[in-house]
Amino acid sequence: MTVIEIDGLTKSYKAGKAVDGVSVRVERGEIFGIAGPNGAGKTTVVECASGLRRRDGGTLRVLGLDPEGDRRELLQRIGVQLQEAALPDAIKVGEALRMYASFYDKPADWRKLMEEWGLTDKRRARFASLSGGWKQRLFIALALVGNPEVVFLDELTTGLDPAARRMTWELIRDMRDRGITVVLVTHFMDEAEALCDRIAIIDQGRVIAEGSPRELIAKGRSASLDDAYFALTGRELG
Amino acid sequence: MKGITQVIAVELKLIIRDPMSGFFALAFPAIMMWVKLRTGKPLPGGLPVVDATVPMLSIFVIGLAGLVVLPATLAQYRERRVLKRLRATPASPAMLFGAQWAAHMLLAALGTVLLIIIGLAAFGLSAPANAAGVLLAWILGALSLGAIGLLIGALVPTGRTATVIGLSVFFPMVFVSGAMIPRETTSGAMRAIGDLTPMAPVVEAIRAAWEGNAISPVTLGVMVAMFIIAGGVAVKAFRW
Repeated sequence: MTVIEIDGLTKSYKAGKAVDGVSVRVERGEIFGIAGPNGAGKTTVVECASGLRRRDGGTLRVLGLDPEGDRRELLQRIGVQLQEAALPDAIKVGEALRMYASFYDKPADWRKLMEEWGLTDKRRARFASLSGGWKQRLFIALALVGNPEVVFLDELTTGLDPAARRMTWELIRDMRDRGITVVLVTHFMDEAEALCDRIAIIDQGRVIAEGSPRELIAKGRSASLDDAYFALTGRELG
Repeated sequence: MKGITQVIAVELKLIIRDPMSGFFALAFPAIMMWVKLRTGKPLPGGLPVVDATVPMLSIFVIGLAGLVVLPATLAQYRERRVLKRLRATPASPAMLFGAQWAAHMLLAALGTVLLIIIGLAAFGLSAPANAAGVLLAWILGALSLGAIGLLIGALVPTGRTATVIGLSVFFPMVFVSGAMIPRETTSGAMRAIGDLTPMAPVVEAIRAAWEGNAISPVTLGVMVAMFIIAGGVAVKAFRW
């Protein structure tokens, strides 16, 4: 079953075209990667799909809903983790989870979620005092607190040390195992290869390749997705 | 309005955890009261100074919470992208505005209660002649000044800019409107200027109710109108 259908999506900013005719389909229960260099338009695709930005053209359906017209209803059913978003410095982990849970019609049990994601010991810690890895863990938990069917994760592991990154990967696989569809934006090819069932590689606002990691590696005649990425994009330096 | 009580509770805690807002809204007015009342001759007309000072400073507290702290909180949330994260939830701007207003006005209420307690305990404050009138005028004052604060917070991009704008709206206003210097002791010219500020009707209404004089319906009407106009524009102009 298809949960996200994007057809011919376009979006321009003052600086120029950010997304130039992107079409992708995401099936229920998969981890779908959107990979590509910085500035390729990955975040814009996700922001349009999660109702945070208006598209210029194309059609978009997420869970059968239009992210612009049915925004409120859609936001009840998706979870989002954003690049560069934050919480107030002085808010405590438990308070943030409890408050975010209160926005949803059918929230998850935030105490249980806190337990599952290992945040219970940190429940009285202030946001500003958390390390990068713990902040990301909290952001994942916040993305899940509304009991979403689809979760968008944007550059989740950027800035994490290798151990925290591995730990985050496990958490993302865990999400899929619970039946949640995950859309993962990343510019790390090792991450896309390790986690994703299917990947769309976006460059300069267009999808230049799409498929499973294995298919993309074959297509790029390479040993790893990292090499395949450079072969497919024709770039030497990402 | 789903989640509004949660947001109010959390925001109030956050305000109180910030030592600056706590100091300026709670301790600073109490210190000012003590300074003003140490040597208190009655005002021209015979009113004990304390009976003017407590209502006046309650407006100082509303103004500080509503015009300075509230816009700074909202703008800082915008700058730090706290609002951006909230935008990806079903929380509505109207709910967030309502919650921010309520949390900051609870701070102002706390400051007002503190002033009243100190006034009663240490300076022989007379109880308000028309308590219901005081409450009504206080709430309308909080709505009107708070709506102006929301409007500043809806538009200004950074916390620092919001603080500068908030303070430059707040300070001239408290001086000329009679929230710091009793209207009885100021010149006619200053009163005339002060009457043009949105704080003047709040001062007039709260003081009139406290002293048991009739509250001018004009002051109440002006407060309601300011709330509707500033609040409406703020909701329209709000950027995440």
